[in-house]
Parts: sequence; structure tokens; C-alpha cells
Amino acid sequence: MKFKGGYNILLKGRPASTVKAMPEPKSLYLPLYSERFTFTDIRVKDGQKVSGGDILATDPNNHAVPLLAPRAGKVSLKAIENHIVLEDVARLEEHADIAEKELQHVEREMGAAGIKRYKLLSLGAWQFFYDAFTGALPDPLGTPQAVIVSTLSLEPFLTRGDIQLHKRLLNFTRGLEHLQSLLEYQPIYMVMPNISSEFANLIRNQIRGYALVKMLEIPLKYPYDHFAILARRLNLKADGGSVWAVRSEGVLAVDRALTLTKPCTVRIVSIGGIGVNMPTHMKVMPGYPIQKIKENYIFEPAARVINGGILTGRILEADTLGVDTECRGITVLRELHEREFLGFIRPGWSRHSYANCYLSSLRKKFEEKYTTGVRGELRPCISCNFCEEVCPAGIMPHLIHKYLYADLIEEAEQARVDLCVECGLCSYVCPSKIDLRKQLIEAKALIAKEKEEIRQEQLRQKELQKQQEEARKLSEEKAQ
Amino acid sequence: MKWLLKIIDAARPAFEEGGKLQFFNPVFEALEHAFFAPSTRTIGAPHIRDPLDVKRVMSMVIISVIPCVLAAFYFFGLRFIAMIVVTYAAGLAVEATFSMVRKESINEGFFVTGILFPLILPPNLPLWMVALGVAFGVFIGKELFGGTGRNVFNPALVGRCFLSLAYPKTMAASWVEPSHELAGSLTRWISPSLDAVSGATPLALAKQGEMGSVAHQFMGSVSGSAGETSAAFIILGGVFLLFTRVANWRTVASMLGSFVVLTGALIIGGAVTYPMPGVFGPVMWHLFAGGILFGAFYMATDPVTSPITNAGKWFYGIIIGSTTVLIRNFTGYVEGVTFAILLGNIVAPILDEIVIGIRLRRLRNER
Repeated sequence: MKFKGGYNILLKGRPASTVKAMPEPKSLYLPLYSERFTFTDIRVKDGQKVSGGDILATDPNNHAVPLLAPRAGKVSLKAIENHIVLEDVARLEEHADIAEKELQHVEREMGAAGIKRYKLLSLGAWQFFYDAFTGALPDPLGTPQAVIVSTLSLEPFLTRGDIQLHKRLLNFTRGLEHLQSLLEYQPIYMVMPNISSEFANLIRNQIRGYALVKMLEIPLKYPYDHFAILARRLNLKADGGSVWAVRSEGVLAVDRALTLTKPCTVRIVSIGGIGVNMPTHMKVMPGYPIQKIKENYIFEPAARVINGGILTGRILEADTLGVDTECRGITVLRELHEREFLGFIRPGWSRHSYANCYLSSLRKKFEEKYTTGVRGELRPCISCNFCEEVCPAGIMPHLIHKYLYADLIEEAEQARVDLCVECGLCSYVCPSKIDLRKQLIEAKALIAKEKEEIRQEQLRQKELQKQQEEARKLSEEKAQ
Repeated sequence: MKWLLKIIDAARPAFEEGGKLQFFNPVFEALEHAFFAPSTRTIGAPHIRDPLDVKRVMSMVIISVIPCVLAAFYFFGLRFIAMIVVTYAAGLAVEATFSMVRKESINEGFFVTGILFPLILPPNLPLWMVALGVAFGVFIGKELFGGTGRNVFNPALVGRCFLSLAYPKTMAASWVEPSHELAGSLTRWISPSLDAVSGATPLALAKQGEMGSVAHQFMGSVSGSAGETSAAFIILGGVFLLFTRVANWRTVASMLGSFVVLTGALIIGGAVTYPMPGVFGPVMWHLFAGGILFGAFYMATDPVTSPITNAGKWFYGIIIGSTTVLIRNFTGYVEGVTFAILLGNIVAPILDEIVIGIRLRRLRNER
């Protein structure tokens, strides 16, 4: 596989490979919003008692993906805005929320394969699946043209695959077999850092014959693990049907849902970055109070807390009280406060740069203490070409920036702004401090909106034509 | 440095919207940001940024020409320092006026133009001409196009081109034979045109059939523009610039490569004959003579006026390199690097257009 661009940022605060089980909380605050989902269809009543695995709410726009209760407790809907609060949380025996009758009904409707998909969806395993090209939730009843399984997480600092898979090799291979049983002849591509390692050989030996898995080795460079890039490098076409993409945690969830028929609610979330006293991984369930995590790990009160990685994550607002269902990592960063004196002529022994403009380029690899500073003033583009060099999608961010500056949306579309995977590297390297990622995302949204409008307009005209035709026929009939 | 920050903070209200000195805000801002980096924070993903900014990029260029500046000082004396001062004063006046009228911040790009401009001038040029040249270069070459980042031509070269077309006689009479003493001319102020004849540049002498030693050109003890005589120091600074990735190696490699290949081919083919025997000798002599090295490392690599695309850079370098050879050997001019690079600047957008067109066609098929 041939990759373009990419760049690894060495940031201090990489989580250790240990996984810490967090203490059981008294209340859970389940946010109704996460990166892809908005759980608007509430299925429980205020004050209702639920047990672990019960469906609290679903997202009607995303194939009714459920928000599961991770623990037993009493529901409180109105306590906090945009959250479902579970009070008096207790760890009781989880039970799957699939009634016998419903199962029989599903079996009649969809057959044996249908049951599996139904289980995946209602037990919370389906939310680990992505459509490789769009990043959206794929249709659980559809058939993909291929499945991409990735054991990598290259963005700092998201939970890495090796931590997920630690001591769970059997579950992983069983999950792969289950995944295969959902498919007919479509291939499963498994992306690994090293396909001749002992670990890879173990997997190969275990799945021999049970699943059709093609192992692929990719360099450990951000963002080569991005699903859209992987799919494109595998020569899969977006118009050839959806491509399912899933990380190792998703495969483990598939195993849990289909082998044990148990809900998948607990996940391993990384906590890293500067401002964390002991970067590590923790085992938490959605809704776990952020305040508790803060008390345990974040020692700087003014730090910025990010839900997700350092390059694509979103700022965790103060009014979000719990970990959301899609959280893959919490990154903490120091906010910039001080103004640096004569910053541009400092030797820069301890700062990284894409260009070798600092003394640190004579140094061995090291981890830098980053802050949230933009580190310079906004300037016009000086055409240094760095953004194009790091772009993993092979587009020209500087060119699109110039088109957008001149309001040439059509040209930006021609320059394939839609191929952008929003990795954020162009914004990171830009010496003129232009927020290219934001501009590209806005342009993509604008183009998508325009296309949608055109489609709607065409539909409307078709409808109009139909009505006119009918009216004409009617009048003709009347005339006769 | 808290006290300085306090002074700046105290002075700021006067320059802000509604203040008495609002008109001078760009100057104040430039001064403030020269001392203290702004404390702007990222507002969303990506949450961190590379430390490199335009100020740093420009200071890297300035650092890389320090060897050349020292060499020019050594060979041509105190007068060269005066030329730098005059360039900065005149150029900054134009730059600052424009940013105040435009209400934009002063761009760092000028500081590079200001140090490169005296380096490409004859060392004995009257100081008023230096001022006029840089003012013309910044005004016509940059500000009229919209400032740093939007200029088509390299402003320093526009200034020099203007001078050599407007005052050809003075320019030709301003060459000086450099000091051959060990102490150089560090303490000397060279006086106007005493021995203009002896100051003829190697390329001018070569036209009369006289080729000096390559070793002298390598060290820099020959006549020529202030900063372009010492090949050793130019290569030293240039390699540093390539290492920092501020200058793109493709431009340098293709420009020098095409220059060497074409000169060599002309000698082998018998199209030109030099008093120096062999092929390698004259080629090296030409490479070290005149402004080809300085132009390749510092002028052609200006990211704004060279093509953006890598493929474009290759062709851009080839065009400049071969044009230089053609002007040097087949026209009445003895030196052609200035014209060649300005020609390259004209061609650069066209090259980009072609390369981008091809790339977009290829991208269109990507799904």
C-alpha cells in the first residue's frame, strides 16, 4: 500500500499501557449527544428503575442505535439538561434486553443472520462500526463490499489497539469469526503495524479456516489508520457499496454481543496529555462522571479537556457531565497564558517543528510539552507547500484555501475538497497560522448543502411535472 | 521582561480603535509582536500548532545570509553596513506607510528583502540610489500586488533591475576591487570610483578574454555585487537554508544542475570557447562567477514568487538556469541572473497552472 503525507507529532503525556478500573460511581450522567449520535427518542420514564443493558434512548436518524443503561439504577430525565441521569447505581447482574418473543419475531422476519445483526444493534456493539468513506454509522442490515479491521489508533492520545487486545486474543479471533459469519464472500482486511509479529502469527493460527482475513502492514504514521484513507489505498470505491470499518474494541464488542449475548457498555478510555499527573488508560462506562476523572487525574484546573485526540477532538464543555458513548480518549492540554519574549529568535532546543528551523532538529526524538497557543500571527499564505506535503489525502490545501479566499466554490469542488479526511495536519504545520482544516470542513459542508439543494429542486420539479401531467390527463378525461 | 510588557500594555490604548495614535497601530503592533509573541489560543481541532511562524521563517533566511553579510563587510568595508541601514530605513518607510494606509499589520517579508537587496548591489553604489532602488522594489514589486504573499516578482530583484536599467553607467562604474589584505577592509570606507577599471567583475573580464582563478572566486576576493562574490559562504548559508526546509532543494538543484549541464554541453559542442582549457574548469568558473549561486540559493527559492508545486519547481529552476547561460554567453549583457529569475517569476504561475491542471485531472478520477 502506498501512502502520502502524514506526520507524527511527539507530544508529552503518552498514556501508559496499564488499564485502571475506575471506582464504581454513585450516579451516571449519560450525555444525549456524542460525535455521531443524538439520542432524541427517549424510551424510559422519569423515576423508572432500569437494569444494566436496558435501552434508555435511541437515535432515530441512525438506524435506532440504542443508548444502553450501563448499570442498574433509577432514571432521572429532568435533573440535568441533555443528560439522562442514573441514580443509585448498582452493579447487578446485567441482562440482555432482548425478550424471547421479540427474538422469535426477528427470526421469523429476518432469519438467523438477522438475529445476529439485531443482537449487535440492540446490545450496543453496532455503534463501534463506521462507514469507511463517510464515517457515519453503516446500515446494520446492509452487506458491505469489504470490512476493514484496524488495530491501530495513531492520533495522540486515543486508546491503542494493543491495550484493547491485551489478554483478549481469543475474544478477538472469535469476534473476527462472528464478523465473517455476517458476510458472504466479502474480504476482511486487517490493518496491523507488523504482520510478522508473534501476535499476528497467533491470530493467523487461531482463525485459520474460520475467517477470510487479509492482514496488511501499514507504517505507524498519523493518520494512515484513518478509515477513508485505508479504504482508498485498498482501491475500494465509494460507489461500490459501503465499507464497514471497525477497530479492535468493536471486534471485541461483536464477540461479547454474539457469544455471551451481553451488552457492551464498558470501554477502555485513554487519559493523556500534559496536565494529567499519570497518563494511563481507564475502564469506564458511558455516563461516568467527568468530575471524578478530573479529581483523579487532572491536576491543572485551567487545563483544556478534549474529548478525543489532540488533532481532531472536541473541547469537552463544562456542561457535559459524563463520558459519552463514543469517547475513545480524553486529552488534557495546558492553556497558553504567558506571552513569550522574543520567541522567534529562540534556539528552540525543546520544540518540535515540521521544518528544521529549531535546534531540536539536531536532537534525538523527544516529547514536547505543548500548549494550546497558536504560536504566531495570522499571515497570508506564503506558499511554502508544507500543507500539501503532509496531506494524507493527496489534495492541495493551499490551493483550496486560495480558491475559497476568492469565493470560487466550484473550483474548490474541482480540487476535490471532498477527499479531505479532516486529520488537521495542514492546520498544524501552517507557518502562516491559517486554520485550513476549518476552512476545508466549511467548504465541504457548503458544497454538500448546495448539492442537496439541487437534488431537492430536481425532486420538486419532477413532482410539479407529475402534477401537471395528472391535471392534464384529468382535464382531457373531463373533456371526453 | 515584565517591565517592558507593562510599558506596552500601558501604551496600547492610544493605538487602539478610537485612540489618538490609531493610524500608527500597525507600527505599534509590529513592535509589540517583535518583543512578545501573541497569546492567541486555538479555538478547536487541531488543538496544538507547530511552533514555526512566518517570523521564524524569515529570521531563518536572515540567519542564513549572515556569512554573506560578513564576507561583504570583510571585502568591501564599512560602506556596506551603511547600505544595509539605508535599505532598511527606506524600505521600512514604504512598507509601514502602506500597512498604515491599508490598516493591516506589517509583514515580516520585508526584513528579508531588506537584507538581500544590498547584497545584490555593486558595493560602491551611491546611497541615494540604494534607497531609491529598494523603495521602487517594495512599492512596485510588492505593495502594488497586495503585499507579502501576493507579489509576482521578487521585490529585491525588481529594485535591482530598475537600477540597472535606469542608471546603467553608474551601476557599471560602481564595482570595486575587493581588499586583498589580510585585515580586509573592515575599517575602511571605500570612496566613489577611484579605480573603476580595476573593479571590473570576472564576467566582464571574461568577455574580454581574461579568466581569473577559480580559487579567488571561491573565497570571494573578486569584484562583484557585495554579497555574491564569495562562493564558499553562499554555499554555507545556502545549505543551512536547505536543511531548515525554508528553501526548497528542488529549485536549487534544478537551477544549478541545468546551468552546469548546459554550460558543459555548449563547451563540448563547441558553441562557446573560453581561454580556459577543458570542460570542468570553465564550468566551475562560471558556476562561481557572478550571481548564479546567490540567485539559486536566496532569490529563486523565495516561496512566494516561485511555483508552489514540486514539479513546477523543477521546471522553474531549469528555465532560470538555462536562461542565465544563454544571456551570459550569447547577449551583450555580461550577467543574466537577475533577468533570468524575473523571467522565472513570470513563468512560475503558468507552470503552476499546468502542473495543477494535470494534478486536478488525476484527482478527478480518484474515488
